[in-house]
Amino acid sequence: MSSLPAYLPTRAPREVQPTRHIEIVATRSQRRRRPRIVYGIVAVAGLFVILMAQLLLSIALSQGTYQISSLQTQQKNLARDKQTLTESLNVLQSPQNLAAQATTLGMVMNNSGSGWLRLSDGSVLKNPTAAGSTSATDPGGQALVTNALLTPDVTAQQDASMSTPAAGNPASTTGGSAGSDVASGSIPAPVTH
Amino acid sequence: MDHPRRSRRRLAIAIVLVLAIVSVFVVKLVDIQVVRADELDKQSYDKRAVAVTTYAPRGSIIDSNGTVLADSVTRYDITSSPRNINKDRAAATVQGFANKIAVITKQDPAVVFTSLTQHPSADYSLVSSAVTTAQMRAIVKLNLPGIYYVSHPIRTYPDGSVAGNLIGFVGTSGAQAGIENMYNSCLASTNGTTSYEQGADGVQIPGSSVTKKAAVPGGTIKLTIDSDLQWFAQQAIAEQATAIGAQSATAVVIEVKTGKLLAVADWPSVDPNNVGLTPIANRQALSFTAQYEPGSVFKGMSAAMLIDTGIGSPTMQATVPWSWKTPEGGRVNDAGAHAVERLTLTGVLQQSSNVGISMLGVKVPEKTRYDYMKAFGLGQPTAVKFQGEASGSIQPLPWDDQTKYNVLYGQGVSATALQVAGIYQTLGNGGVRLPLTLVDSCTKPDGTVTDQPSTSGTQVVSKSTASTVVNMLESVVDSGELSSVAKIAGYRVAGKSGTAEVASHGVYTSDRIVSFVGLAPATDPQYEVLVTYTKPTTMKTSAAAAPTFKKIMTQVLTKYRVPPSTTPSTYPATTW
Repeated sequence: MSSLPAYLPTRAPREVQPTRHIEIVATRSQRRRRPRIVYGIVAVAGLFVILMAQLLLSIALSQGTYQISSLQTQQKNLARDKQTLTESLNVLQSPQNLAAQATTLGMVMNNSGSGWLRLSDGSVLKNPTAAGSTSATDPGGQALVTNALLTPDVTAQQDASMSTPAAGNPASTTGGSAGSDVASGSIPAPVTH
Repeated sequence: MDHPRRSRRRLAIAIVLVLAIVSVFVVKLVDIQVVRADELDKQSYDKRAVAVTTYAPRGSIIDSNGTVLADSVTRYDITSSPRNINKDRAAATVQGFANKIAVITKQDPAVVFTSLTQHPSADYSLVSSAVTTAQMRAIVKLNLPGIYYVSHPIRTYPDGSVAGNLIGFVGTSGAQAGIENMYNSCLASTNGTTSYEQGADGVQIPGSSVTKKAAVPGGTIKLTIDSDLQWFAQQAIAEQATAIGAQSATAVVIEVKTGKLLAVADWPSVDPNNVGLTPIANRQALSFTAQYEPGSVFKGMSAAMLIDTGIGSPTMQATVPWSWKTPEGGRVNDAGAHAVERLTLTGVLQQSSNVGISMLGVKVPEKTRYDYMKAFGLGQPTAVKFQGEASGSIQPLPWDDQTKYNVLYGQGVSATALQVAGIYQTLGNGGVRLPLTLVDSCTKPDGTVTDQPSTSGTQVVSKSTASTVVNMLESVVDSGELSSVAKIAGYRVAGKSGTAEVASHGVYTSDRIVSFVGLAPATDPQYEVLVTYTKPTTMKTSAAAAPTFKKIMTQVLTKYRVPPSTTPSTYPATTW
């Protein structure tokens, strides 16, 4: 008897409801093992982040390349500037140019005028002599020691820069104050002791 | 009922089609990726990759203070692609380009126009060579199509002809003369190559740079020359040589205790920036390459031999006529007629008597004299070993009846200015001959220093002989014929003049080589100056050389702050 009621209900639905939807119900452990949607989202998002990071890195890298390229160009230009300036400085400080400029300023070379003192007994070994009107050499005359780099262009440029002292140039202001010191009768002396 | 069958057939067709397409792709893929991989790879690399020659500059030549005497700077060649320029452009437009470029490069616009249009289909044409950075930038700023620039280093000599004869020059085919040529292995740089891949805009693809070979800059040659003094010496001899109509002139300044050449001036001098202006004969350093019969400056050496061998002394006596018949039947004359004089050896030097030095000097055996001359450095190039340096010549023994007298006063023997200078360096340095040095060192970019000259000297005559002869030579400057033009106030100076006859085709002519050599301060010589004028036309005696000697020696003593002498000149008696 006891088996009958158990038998009947199982048989009965099949016959009574042949199209009834049934499904296998997963056990709790099975349900826990099933992939959760959040993992999928995390994975896809992770992939996306990696792709974005790679893209950004690549952009940054190429940006860096452009920066390097522009800095290299800048460096090249500055190196050219430096070389150009060094080149003209070397020419302007050549003895021919200095001598010619000094002559233009009315200077003469007085190579035998220096005096000599002996400190031990304070004796004068050689009296200084003032420069005369003639120079030890006469570079102002014919250009005997030539310099093809001292072109009229170079000297003209130099004359132009000499006649217009740069504003706020510390060298020119010191020169000015020293001049006024001399004019007022005192000799400028270093402040160190 | 045939629905499933139809769908199965459709499926089969689809699968076959897909397989066919996939297999076509696979075949193509294998072809590209495996079969032709190398070839295609190379093609694409060649499109992206650029190999660039990198230049390192040739080393500089600097003076003892670091002043640059020779340097490398960058210049640019302006090039064009006539094909690009002339395509779809009217001639007037191209003429406009030419005008703009010509203004910057200071060329004739017609020349520029020709270079742009002469070969309209060409891809390359040189428009202007070796323009400066400023000019190149101005041209680039014009932003003209089909105009490019190529950089290359050129040599520049900021001080022009100061030491030009020593430095030499670099021609289109490399170093050609002087230090540039002698020390080319130190100065030369090695070009490198860099290759990298670039994108369409010419920017380097990150991480693609492959430097194949680094460029190595050249080393720096440091000379013993002081460029300021060198300029002064050149200026001084040029002024005097022009005044007396000389053919050429040299001046040498030596630091006696080290053998360092502080100035070696040659006139006419070469400006290495524009070598073409100087005749070929004057492009060398005549002070090293020209040998001549030096004349009476040799008498100092002859006196040193007499004293060093013990045969003579400063007061050794001679009765000197102006013209003397030698025991062998030859004849020796003094420069001018004079009464018979009773001279000591010191007096013979002071009066520069050929007869006197012949009478006394001949007492030293020929072999001994020959050996002394060799020991003083004659008959061999100096330690500088300058390009094309002459070695001079001493006639081989036995000497004939005239030569054995002639060599005592510097005829019948030849030497270069530097060899004569070497004799007096020896006498000034206590009898120790030092190797003359012109190049101080070669410093490579990595800091290694090479080419340092030897500084070991040889004792030629004893210290006392050397100082005795220098003392005797004070008489020349103090009270000799040239004392008025050679004496330097405040300093004791020893000196010797020379007026040598120039032989041409075996006969002595009226041409002269006049010179003056001296040491100061005479009590402890620090500096030596030698001045030589070849074939002066208006003043044919050493009185032409002495003023320049004084001028240069004064400059040397002032520049190097040599204290004045504390005692006046005293020297052995000149007559008896």
